[in-house]
Amino acid sequence: MTNNSNKEKTLGEVMRSRGVSRRSFLKFCAATASMMAMSPAMIPKIAHALESARRPSVIWLSFQECTGCTESLTRAHTATIESLIFDSISLDYHHTLQAASGHAAEEAREAAMNENWGKYILVVDGSIPTDNPGYSTIAGISNLDMFMQTAAGAAAIISVGTCAAYGGIPHADPNPTGAYSVYDVIKKFSNNQLDGISSATLAKAGEGSVVSKPIISVPGCPPIPVVITGVLTHFLTFGTIPELDHLGRPKAFYGQSIHDRCYRRPFYDKGLFAETFDDEGAKKGWCLYKLGCKGPTTYNACATTKWNDGTSFPIESGHPCLGCSEPDFWDGGGFYKALSMPTENITQTAIYTAAGAAAVGVALGAMNKSKKNNAVAAHNKTTIDDLEK
Amino acid sequence: MSASLDKGINALKEQVDSSVAAFFSSCTHCGMCADACLFYTETGCPTATPITKVEPLRRIWKSEYTLLGRIGKMFGLNKKVDDELLTKWEKRVYDNCTLCGRCSMVCPVGNDIALMIRKTREGMAAAGHAPEGLIGATKRAVTIGSPMGVKLPALMAQINHVEKDTGLKVPLDVEGAEYMLLLSSMEIMNFPEFIEAIAKIFTKAGVSWTISTEAFEATNSGIQIGVSDIAAELVQRIVDAAEKLKVKTVISPECGHAYMAIRWDGPNLIGKPFNFKVRHILEILDEFRKDGRLKITGKEEQRLTYHDPCQISRRGGVIEQPRNLINMFSNNFVEMPDTGKMNWCCGAGGGVSTNERADKVRLKVFQRKKDQLDEIKPDAIVSACSNCRIHLEDGLEEYNMDIPLMSLTETLAEHLAD
Repeated sequence: MTNNSNKEKTLGEVMRSRGVSRRSFLKFCAATASMMAMSPAMIPKIAHALESARRPSVIWLSFQECTGCTESLTRAHTATIESLIFDSISLDYHHTLQAASGHAAEEAREAAMNENWGKYILVVDGSIPTDNPGYSTIAGISNLDMFMQTAAGAAAIISVGTCAAYGGIPHADPNPTGAYSVYDVIKKFSNNQLDGISSATLAKAGEGSVVSKPIISVPGCPPIPVVITGVLTHFLTFGTIPELDHLGRPKAFYGQSIHDRCYRRPFYDKGLFAETFDDEGAKKGWCLYKLGCKGPTTYNACATTKWNDGTSFPIESGHPCLGCSEPDFWDGGGFYKALSMPTENITQTAIYTAAGAAAVGVALGAMNKSKKNNAVAAHNKTTIDDLEK
Repeated sequence: MSASLDKGINALKEQVDSSVAAFFSSCTHCGMCADACLFYTETGCPTATPITKVEPLRRIWKSEYTLLGRIGKMFGLNKKVDDELLTKWEKRVYDNCTLCGRCSMVCPVGNDIALMIRKTREGMAAAGHAPEGLIGATKRAVTIGSPMGVKLPALMAQINHVEKDTGLKVPLDVEGAEYMLLLSSMEIMNFPEFIEAIAKIFTKAGVSWTISTEAFEATNSGIQIGVSDIAAELVQRIVDAAEKLKVKTVISPECGHAYMAIRWDGPNLIGKPFNFKVRHILEILDEFRKDGRLKITGKEEQRLTYHDPCQISRRGGVIEQPRNLINMFSNNFVEMPDTGKMNWCCGAGGGVSTNERADKVRLKVFQRKKDQLDEIKPDAIVSACSNCRIHLEDGLEEYNMDIPLMSLTETLAEHLAD
C-alpha cells in the first residue's frame, strides 16, 4: 500500500518527505548539469523535470555478474542524493535487493512489465550466456529468455557495467559460456544467430520490436555511480537518451581519456616515469605509463569525478588504470604491460640512428665535395676572350 | 670566343658552397624580397623578384647537390639549365639587378640574395650570356686599364690642369707615401674636380699621398660582369702597385662597387690578405675630422640630403662618416625616408649603367628615388659615388627635376678654411 501510494508521488515529493533540502537538491541538479556538459540554464529545467516526474518503473536484471555494480551503486557511505534518487525510482525488480524470492519475485516482474509496457527502463548488469541455457537461470528461466522478454517492453536499456556493455570477464577468452553483451545479444538476435530462445519469448520479442530499443552503455568494472544517475536524470528531464559515442557510452562521461584529465599528465609530458612500484618515481608520484597504465586508451570520468565521494581514483592511489571501461580490457595482454614502449635500449638506438644518419650525411657531403672539386678542377681560367660564344 | 653552356654549368657548380646550399634550403618562398627591390616595386613584374633571379643557380644546386635532386636527375625529372633558360634570365640577372643588396637585408631567414645573384652571374658570363656593354667594358678594363678606355696620358692631362689651377703638386709614384689614391674613370673624365679636392684637402691635412701611374683605376668590371678570374687580375694590379710603392693605405674613391671590390672581395679574389689597409675616401676624411685636420669655414643654409651609395653604405658600412662630414658644412641636413643601410638604390649600379640595354628600365625605376626626393624636397643632393651621381643627374633630367648633385669630397674641399 505504501509502495503504491509512493508511486503516485513525484520525485520531488518523495525527496522532501525524506528530508532532502531544496538547496541540496538544486546542488545535485547543478552538479549533474555541469558533469553532463549542459549549459547552466538547464539547471532549473532539470530541477523542474525531476520534481514533477512520476517515478519511472525500473526493472533491474542481473545475469552473469559479480554484484559489484550493484555494490558500487548502493553501498553509499552516506545517504547521497544519487542514492536517494535511486531509491526513489520505482525499482520494481532487482533480485539482489528485493525481499521477495522465487515465483513471487517473478510475478512482481511480470506485473511491473504489464503495468508499464513500453515505458519502463530496463537496467542490465552482467553478460548473457548464449551457449547452454543451464549456465545461468533464474527461477527456471534462462537469462536469454528473461532478457529478451523484458527488453521487448522497455523504453530504453541501460547496460550497467563492463559485462553488460561488452561481455566483461565472462566473455573473456576462452568465453566458456558463450557470454555476450546486451548489444551483441540483440545484434545476434536480429541476425537470427541465437538458438535456444523459447517460442513465447520470440513472440514477445517480436511484439516489442527488441531490435530498435535504444541501448545506453555505462561500462566500468564497476561504473561510477553518478554516471548511472546522470543518465537517469537526463532521461527524466528530456525524455531522451544523452548523446552517445561510437560504443554507446554517454559522451558527457566518456568523452575524454583518463590520460587527458590525469593529474599525473605533466610528468608524462616531461618524460618522468615510475619504473617500479617502489622506486623514487613511484614515491614522487610520476606517471605510471611504464607500469602498464591504460589511461591513454581508456575513456571514463574517473580522473574528474573520482570515487568514494570524490576521494581519489586508482592512479591517485598509485596504481595504473586497468582500462576497465574499454572493450575486452581483461584480454588486453596484461595489466602491468605498458601500452607501447619505444625500444628496449633507447640510448643505443639513438646512437645507432645518429651514427647511421651521420654516415649518410658524410657520404653525401663527400659526394658533394668531390663534385665541387671536379667542377673547380674543370675550371679553365676565364679571360676576356671567353666572354662571348 | 670560347664561352659555352658547359663552362657556364661548371661555373655554377663551382659557385655552390655551404652558404648557398644553406640559403636555398632555408628559402621559404615568402616573397618578401620582392618589395625590397626597386625593379619589382617600380615595374610590378614578378620576374624581378630577387630570389627568382637566381633560378639557374638554384637548379644546379638542386640537381647536383641534393639527394632528391640526384634521384630526380637519374630519372630525368629535373628542370634543366640550358641556353634557353640563360637567355631568358640574362635580363633578370644583369639588367634588373644592381646588386644593391636591399633584398638580403629583408630576407627573414637571412639569405644573402645579392651574393647569390653575383654568383649566378659567374655562370651566365662563362656561358656567354653577359650583356654586350659589360663585355666591352670588361675587355677595355683588362686591355686598356679602364672600362671607359682612359689611358695614362688622359690622367696626366687632367693632373696638369689641376696643378695649374691650384698651384698644388699631385704626387705620382711616391714610394713610402702614407696613402695611395685610386680613381674611377668617371672621375678622371667627368669629375676632375675630385682630384683637385683631394689635392687641397690632403695638402691642408699635411699627409703624404700619391697616385700610382701603374694602377690608378679603382673600378672593377670583373666584379660587375661576374668573372672572378678577371676581377682578381684587376685587383692584383692594385696590390702590385701598392706593394711596389710600400704605401700604408689604399684609398678607394667616390665609387661604390670599386670599394666593395678592393676592400671586401679583394683579398678573397687573390687568395691572400693585403699587407696594406684599404679605406674609402669618406672614412679617411672622417678620420681627418676626428684628428682636427679639417678646418671648415662657412655653412650651407640650403636643404641638403645624402644619397647613400649601396656598396658604400649598405654593403660597406660607411654610414656615419658622410653625415659627420656633411654636418661640418651644413646647417640644414635632411634625411630621405629609408636612409643608411636601407636606402634605395639609384638604379644603375652593379653594371646596369654600363649596359645600354638597361637604359630604359634604369630610368623607369628611378621613380623610387624621385618619390623619396619628392617627400623631402631638398635643394641639393650630396653623394659619394660617381656612378650614382651620373645616373641621378640622368634621372632628374628625365623626370624634369631641377636638383643639383654635389660630391661630398668636392663640397668639403670648397669649404676648407684658408
